[in-house]
Amino acid sequence: MIENLFDVSTVLSVSNVAVFLFVLIGGVLISLSVHFIPIGGAPAAMAQATGVGTGTTQLAAGAGLTGLLAAGSVSAVTNNLYLPLFIGSISSCLMIAITMFSANLVYIFGVGCPLVSGKRQRDVITKDRQDVYVSKGTEGHGTPTASFFSGLIGGLIGGFGGSLTYVSILYLCTKTVGISFAGSAAFAATCSIALFYINSVIASYNIGGTIEGFTDQKFKKMPKAIFVSSIASAIFGIITIATVYLFIVPATGGIF
Amino acid sequence: MINFTVLLLLGLIAVLAAIAGYTEDLESVIGSQSNPNSQVQLAPQVMRPHRYFNKAISGEPISNALTAAIGASVAYLFTYISFPFLVSLVLGSIVASLFHAYLAFVSHTGRIASQGRFKQPLYKDVIRSHIFPIAAYAFLTVFCILSISYILKYALEHPFPFPLISLILGISVGSIGSSIGDVYYGAESLYQNYPFGAGINAAHSGDIVRKGASGILTNHDHTYFCSMFGAPATGLAFSATVFLTTWITSVFNPKDGTIYGVLAIILGILFIICLFVLNRILEIYAHHRFGPYRETEKGDAVDI
Repeated sequence: MIENLFDVSTVLSVSNVAVFLFVLIGGVLISLSVHFIPIGGAPAAMAQATGVGTGTTQLAAGAGLTGLLAAGSVSAVTNNLYLPLFIGSISSCLMIAITMFSANLVYIFGVGCPLVSGKRQRDVITKDRQDVYVSKGTEGHGTPTASFFSGLIGGLIGGFGGSLTYVSILYLCTKTVGISFAGSAAFAATCSIALFYINSVIASYNIGGTIEGFTDQKFKKMPKAIFVSSIASAIFGIITIATVYLFIVPATGGIF
Repeated sequence: MINFTVLLLLGLIAVLAAIAGYTEDLESVIGSQSNPNSQVQLAPQVMRPHRYFNKAISGEPISNALTAAIGASVAYLFTYISFPFLVSLVLGSIVASLFHAYLAFVSHTGRIASQGRFKQPLYKDVIRSHIFPIAAYAFLTVFCILSISYILKYALEHPFPFPLISLILGISVGSIGSSIGDVYYGAESLYQNYPFGAGINAAHSGDIVRKGASGILTNHDHTYFCSMFGAPATGLAFSATVFLTTWITSVFNPKDGTIYGVLAIILGILFIICLFVLNRILEIYAHHRFGPYRETEKGDAVDI
């Protein structure tokens, strides 16, 4: 088994390289999605900043993993490889949309402040005035339309990235090395959760806790995060594939 | 073909999710977890010693994921040795809530002890009166999460292992509770000493309300306050998330053909568009209702 692993043709087989690339792309998409999701961090919980009042990593991971749950249920009942990706993506977006909408209800009816951004004079999409509605000593509150739209894009991309990782590792385990579906789904989901957290944290450090979406100046720092997460995801991809061949295949009796 | 048993189970999941979201938010309020914790932490440093319970085990999603995964693992163990599933879920939830209460105790005492240099006392009665409600709310949350996971795993045949589904749902309920319910706690409940109708000025950070109509406030008062708006909003949001994401693939099940999967995606997109439009309506309503920000004699408040 070990000899086979060090055989260049085994290691560089088409499916292994494809899975590695898909994990890489999935990781980069997750990192990209975090930049789109409007997050106000702890200040937003005191209505001091625009966006959802939680941590960057937390909401991105919460949404992405909700998508993963839906993608997992779809992958069990269909052989179509594209459906889990898109249903995961839509579910993730749905979770973000419900969260942003409900948080806005709390901002308006609970705290009594309108939805505004403190960083722009006018909303990019609706062209509404923003600066006159901002409370003194804050940078805006709630999720206005431009940030909401940005959040939806973030949810779609993040859910797609997470589902892509899940489906590609699932495919590697079930189709290439022949592990049972239940075991493969568990392993693929665990890897997907891990990749989600790795890349969300990278993106979170890059944007420094708060971002209003694609309208924010911090969005321009995105290429740095993409570069770092591509390295992290590449390492993660290698570890994942090595784990499959070194530990899971001998334990479960795969192809070797 | 719509299966009514499945719809019934989805309804049950939605109800359980609503309770889970509600209790999760109250659990975070009674222990001052998550983002508003920064204010409770800051208060003694700006000479405002308080009688609040101050725990921040970690971010809410991770904390809830941990308790849910522990509960699910223990419950799985008991079902494995042929305990009835309901008893197993209860036993799992008890173990998880005890673990959570222990973490809450350690977190609170550690945090308050570190603030001794700012003259913040460590009240034994605060620990005694808060630790049991924390455990109770954690029990309810974990039990609901485990029940949802159990239905998803064994009735709706989800491929993920039972503890993994619980872990994901724990992360999900935590992130929703942290995004929605905590805003009401942080921006309104903790700052009742400032007029209603504005975001909290960053210069007032740490100046949280400490005195009530009668006596000194504790987290029990905030739990009562938040149980009327923040917690129900969290419960409804979590319920809607869990229900809608499973409902679209249950009504149009991809098992019946790819076209049904595509219809499920279209249905999801329709929901998202609806929420986008509703959000816009809400934004316009708020701008008209509140008007531009104006300072009043009392300080930072919008004069409606």
